[in-house]
Amino acid sequence: MATFLLRRLLLAIPTLVGVLVVVFALLYIAPGDPVMAMVGERADSATIAQLRHQLHLDESRPKQFVAYASSVLRGDLGTSFITGRPIARDIAQRFPKTLELASAAMLLAVVLGISAGVVTAAYPGGWLDRLTLAFTYLGISFPVYWVGLILILVFAMVLRWLPPSGTGGLAFLVLPAFALGTRSIAFLARMTRSAMLEVIGSDYIRTARAKGLSRAAVLARHALRNALIPVVTVIGLDFGSYLTGSILTETVFSWPGLGRYVVNAIGKRDLPAIQGSILFLSVVFVVVNIVADLTYAATDPRVEYA
Amino acid sequence: MSACRGADSTPQRKTFIDSRDRYDPRSLDPALSTDVPTGRAVSYVFDGLTRFTVDARLAPALAARWDVSPDGRTYTFHLRPHVRFHDGQSLRAADVVHSFERVLDPRTKGGRGWPLFPISGARAFAAGSTRTIAGLATPDDSTVRITLDTALAIFPKLLAMPVASIVPDSDTTNFGEHPVGTGPWRFVRWQHDDYVLLAKNPSYWGGAPHLDSLEIRIVPEPSTSVAEFQAGNVDLLYVPEAETDRWEHTDEKNAFLVTAPALRLWYVAINCTRGPLRDPRVRQALNHAVDVGTILQRLVGGRGTLAAGVIPPSLDGADTTRRPYAYDPARARALLTAAGYPNGFALQLWVGQDETFQRIAQSIQAYLAAVGIRATLVQRDNSSAREASRHGDADLFIKDWYADYPDAEDFLDPLLVGANRGVGGNVSFYENPSVDDLVARARTTADSAKRAALYQRADSIAFGDAPMIYLFFYNELYAVQPWIRGFKAPAIFNGQRFLDVSIVGPGAGGANAGAPRDSTTHP
Repeated sequence: MATFLLRRLLLAIPTLVGVLVVVFALLYIAPGDPVMAMVGERADSATIAQLRHQLHLDESRPKQFVAYASSVLRGDLGTSFITGRPIARDIAQRFPKTLELASAAMLLAVVLGISAGVVTAAYPGGWLDRLTLAFTYLGISFPVYWVGLILILVFAMVLRWLPPSGTGGLAFLVLPAFALGTRSIAFLARMTRSAMLEVIGSDYIRTARAKGLSRAAVLARHALRNALIPVVTVIGLDFGSYLTGSILTETVFSWPGLGRYVVNAIGKRDLPAIQGSILFLSVVFVVVNIVADLTYAATDPRVEYA
Repeated sequence: MSACRGADSTPQRKTFIDSRDRYDPRSLDPALSTDVPTGRAVSYVFDGLTRFTVDARLAPALAARWDVSPDGRTYTFHLRPHVRFHDGQSLRAADVVHSFERVLDPRTKGGRGWPLFPISGARAFAAGSTRTIAGLATPDDSTVRITLDTALAIFPKLLAMPVASIVPDSDTTNFGEHPVGTGPWRFVRWQHDDYVLLAKNPSYWGGAPHLDSLEIRIVPEPSTSVAEFQAGNVDLLYVPEAETDRWEHTDEKNAFLVTAPALRLWYVAINCTRGPLRDPRVRQALNHAVDVGTILQRLVGGRGTLAAGVIPPSLDGADTTRRPYAYDPARARALLTAAGYPNGFALQLWVGQDETFQRIAQSIQAYLAAVGIRATLVQRDNSSAREASRHGDADLFIKDWYADYPDAEDFLDPLLVGANRGVGGNVSFYENPSVDDLVARARTTADSAKRAALYQRADSIAFGDAPMIYLFFYNELYAVQPWIRGFKAPAIFNGQRFLDVSIVGPGAGGANAGAPRDSTTHP
């Protein structure tokens, strides 16, 4: 177990170095200039040249990369070209909001998705099963942006149960979490259902039923635990993607998370902010994946970590 | 905060909530005010020596009055007495010098020095070659004398820009997130990408605001701001162009609409240095080929006045008798034939991310096709499109220009003067020595009637050369909640500071209960 963890952590290093290189290269290939965003609509070339020099943008690309990489190795993500604020602090302010939203979405997905999967698997072919199936089709197909706007229309504007956007109490979390989690709810429901059906058809379930256990006990104790193994993988992947890419949801619901920060930084070509936040999000993604792998051991005793 | 409120009832709050900002201000430091959200927020917390009124007229602010020397080069500003910063310090002349030095100091990395460049020695100081600005003097604690390189009649207008706001001469760390000014609103809290909260300055020299506090919400998605408005959670809304009809022609009983012409020109820059576009007849043909009136009605909800020049009709120098280019495809074809392009030619029309711009670009593409010009749409993110246009890589680029100060010079100089080609704002790469000369002469002309005449001639000459497809001057359209009193649509972005705005109804008379965010001072 410890060796597994160590190996995975070591393997993460080349991944992150790769991210660093690729992001840097992409940013310098892409058109757009951070200084143009700094000076606004009316500027003069002397000011622009001076800023380029001060920000070391007039140096060679390899030199810029070495300077950036070495400051990252020292644990310094630098300061934003545009705002002058430290990137690490910007991330620290916004990531908790992203984590909050992603966790809420994942919680909804786990609770609603898995229960829907179990219930429909218990009565396959029934009206509930068919209805859920239809909903899951829609849930997987609808784009999150559209789902978000529809949720605002129905629950904030027509019914007036919930606030349309912003932050505050728990009420503000409900709609964005639903919008973000819709796809996972639908996907987990379908996965759980098919995994459950597969397990229910296997011999040991028949044995469990034969020894006199109730249908509910068999489903919960024997079938679900085994069916959950592939589901955990999906949860890990989805959670990772929510933590790193809830940009559209954050935009529709004015949610002040890291996704919008990255998009704004890209719009203004704020190079240190883009590089720092993408590097941070890559670390998050790697960590989530390692945690997901470790979770297999808890659900599936056959998995060994050598 | 209650989860939601009915739009029919007056909210139980004395906080005015604005939903206009689509992205977080860059900073609350005046020296970094290069975008509209920053400029607006800075104008609430700070004052300049001068300011703009809601209808974009110049008015005294921290300078109660000023004198100009006969040669027009020296301005003496007499500071308003008994003005205090939010932290209690008194305003002194040294604060003005400090403020301007901060803006120009290379270490600030603001990139917004140009409004102060007319001051003698400002450029040298900004380049780091001098330690003081030669043109700034403080004869006493309440007087600032500013010497310019050359006479500049519009200089007091430049000082009303957010970047020239006065900050206290004390080194505060992280000023951009904890600003201290003399303005009507003092800083309380800033949750990035979420909101900025300001509380009224009860001892404001111009009289305290009626409202208790002002909350600037950051709402990136226009549809969401509409939803927030209809739920009654925000008091002020920019009505999206595409929704103009719905708001104007349906019974929106919960809101009233306020409109005002903005000092804002929408246009298609024609790069005068590229291919067939070098010929003025071709550029005139482009103007005749496009039915701008129909575009304005159908795609922008009729919110504007057709442009026959770059100077908005409300500014001195505008020629309101000049007729816009008529929609006349036959004339356009004739001009193209005369220029040697009877079968038209191909060009690229660049456009950024704005949805209305994109719709207009598609429409222009179709109009151009009708006279034989094959336009390819090149759609890029704003940053890339702007950079291409500044480098002269775009044949046509659809954009707008929003005044920094209410003067014809702010349209003529950046958009049409040869020295400003590229990054200076002239992305038509237009150069005409007579226009350059007229604008330069106007700058040093003190007599406002003579200046207006020079502006008018410059605008008229350029109009004939057609360095752009002249579209229209844009009208802002706001929706304001019925419980709001005293809101006027500003003609310039920093003209509305919410001093005369109030909330009426049961909520306004009571205690501060129900205020969405408490206004306690940030530690």
